[in-house]
Amino acid sequence: MRRHIISTIFGKEIKEVLRDKRMLYLIILLPFFLYPVLFTLIGGVGASQQEKLLNQEITVWVSPAAEGTAIPALLGQDSSLKVAYKEFAEGDLDSLKRTIGIWVPTDYQQKIAAGEAATVKIYADQSQDVLNMRERMLSAQLQALNQQLLQQRLAERDLAAQFATPLQLESVDLSPEESGNRMMTAFLPMMILLFIFIGCIYIAIDITAGEKERRTLQTLFTTPASTQEIVAGKFLAVASVGIVSATMNILSLILATQIQAYLLGEADAGMSLSLAPVAWGWMLVLVLLTTLFIGALSLAIVLLANSYKEAQSYVSPLMMVVLIPSMMAAMPGVELNLQTALIPVFNVALAIVSIMKGTLDTGMLSIVAGASLVYGVLALYLASLTFSNENVITGEKLDWKALLKR
Amino acid sequence: MSNLIEARGLTKDFGDFRAVNEVSFTVEKGEIFGLLGPNGAGKTTTLRMLSGLLSPTAGEASINGFSMQQEQMKARRSLGFLTGDMDLYRRLNPRELLLYFGKLYETPKAELEERVERLIEAFGITPFVDRHCEKLSTGQKQRVSIARTLVHDPQVVVLDEPTTGLDIMASEFILQFIRKMAKEEGKALIFSTHNLTEVERLCDRIAVVHQGNLVYLGDIAGIKAQTGTSTLPQAFFELVQDEALSLQN
Repeated sequence: MRRHIISTIFGKEIKEVLRDKRMLYLIILLPFFLYPVLFTLIGGVGASQQEKLLNQEITVWVSPAAEGTAIPALLGQDSSLKVAYKEFAEGDLDSLKRTIGIWVPTDYQQKIAAGEAATVKIYADQSQDVLNMRERMLSAQLQALNQQLLQQRLAERDLAAQFATPLQLESVDLSPEESGNRMMTAFLPMMILLFIFIGCIYIAIDITAGEKERRTLQTLFTTPASTQEIVAGKFLAVASVGIVSATMNILSLILATQIQAYLLGEADAGMSLSLAPVAWGWMLVLVLLTTLFIGALSLAIVLLANSYKEAQSYVSPLMMVVLIPSMMAAMPGVELNLQTALIPVFNVALAIVSIMKGTLDTGMLSIVAGASLVYGVLALYLASLTFSNENVITGEKLDWKALLKR
Repeated sequence: MSNLIEARGLTKDFGDFRAVNEVSFTVEKGEIFGLLGPNGAGKTTTLRMLSGLLSPTAGEASINGFSMQQEQMKARRSLGFLTGDMDLYRRLNPRELLLYFGKLYETPKAELEERVERLIEAFGITPFVDRHCEKLSTGQKQRVSIARTLVHDPQVVVLDEPTTGLDIMASEFILQFIRKMAKEEGKALIFSTHNLTEVERLCDRIAVVHQGNLVYLGDIAGIKAQTGTSTLPQAFFELVQDEALSLQN
């Protein structure tokens, strides 16, 4: 393979990408604006929705036996609750008319006074957001009342408050400082892999199926550039765009969470990537090796298509290859071990999770890196097989048997 | 050696279908060779085998003495190839495009730059040399395409329907250039077209391909004599009559 031929092909592909405004928007500018805007928008809509739910008027039917107890006083604190005393059955409550029922037994007051337990039931259609939210608020208020009554009973019997809580349970989190945001640990690997894929796939389609559609691919194959040189040049272009796209997306994501945290007044809540330099180094190696695999695989597969449109039908199945393993890696209990370290994509997702949790098992990470390299090289070989197939290049009907022969 | 192009028993099967059956011909230095045949006759497949885009099921093609199967890189260096399936990169301008292909042929830098400027001048590309290829007219694109086939100064040039879709002025320009390449620069030229007037004006010899078989190989006077007709179109129809008749029925 001649380096200057590869770099000539690579240079031309990159030049065309840089001149393609649509592609630039898609892989660089869009992600940079997408997340900050999206996050702010979701935050804003969420807050206004919450307020709307809180202000909706709700009718609360209360058993007449509760009249004169502390329960109506609790309900009176919330002006959006309309309290009505009536005997009701479960079926009478109408979620469409926004009703919630609080049922107390007829001997409620006697039981409380006698130091016994009285059953209190809250009826609500919890599938309705507005009723579910109020049910939770009412439950909390009744729990508070429960505590208050308990304190009264203890005081009447001259018992200290601690009497009813013999165990003071405290749970101390020992996870290392770097482990950071739990959500981020679960989603970052998926995001990284997805962004690499998105970055790779569009340019891969453009320089394979897109070139076939624009009738420019055959010309390249009549020049003295070898198939391997053509694959290498095109692959480097795909991988570079994939890496740039992934970097832009992740930076934008971090920026977006920090903007949102700032807007919410929680300066520390944003995603921070306070990882050790060695951890960053491993992340970089893994990202590069995954790009090798995803980029080469995308190139090999989308070249089979004869048009942009046809190539786009290959995008979803390919995306599954990336998404499903990385989602599985976020599941609790899934760990990096000798078996999982050998499964493509899944191993890298697991390795990133483990790095983010602050564990740096160099031996295991080396196995992941080694396996990823092997898969990457295999994917490149597959790409060179498809590029060597004359039916694929000339857009004739594909002969699958011939594809696997050199 | 004066045969710059040799096709020996070129055969191509696509599954059970034989697209080209044992086609043989040679083209000499300075000769313009017309490849004729109705649509689907196997012309483009034959040309693709000559260029190495398709490998023949049987037979061999050689360019400038190099076998396209055994010494592909050397053979390709001697060949400038253009078919209707080849367009220009949309977002490169003509100069960038010519330089790009010149580099792929490993033309030394100074020589390449000088040759590109000469081609730009010769093909009248100067007025639109800085415009992206997607913004060029069909005629302008075709001039750039032909300049592209010549950027490495090949001994052999294959042009498949180079005047299709062009107006009279643009066609005339290209035809004159074809004549100049063969007669003044001594290149061997294969020229495939449906325009029989162009064939009569330019071609020294012709081959007629019909249903994958070579049905005539020789000069224009010969085809008329063989078919007992007085014009090339009549002779051509006579040779491919089977198909014409089957279309009528």
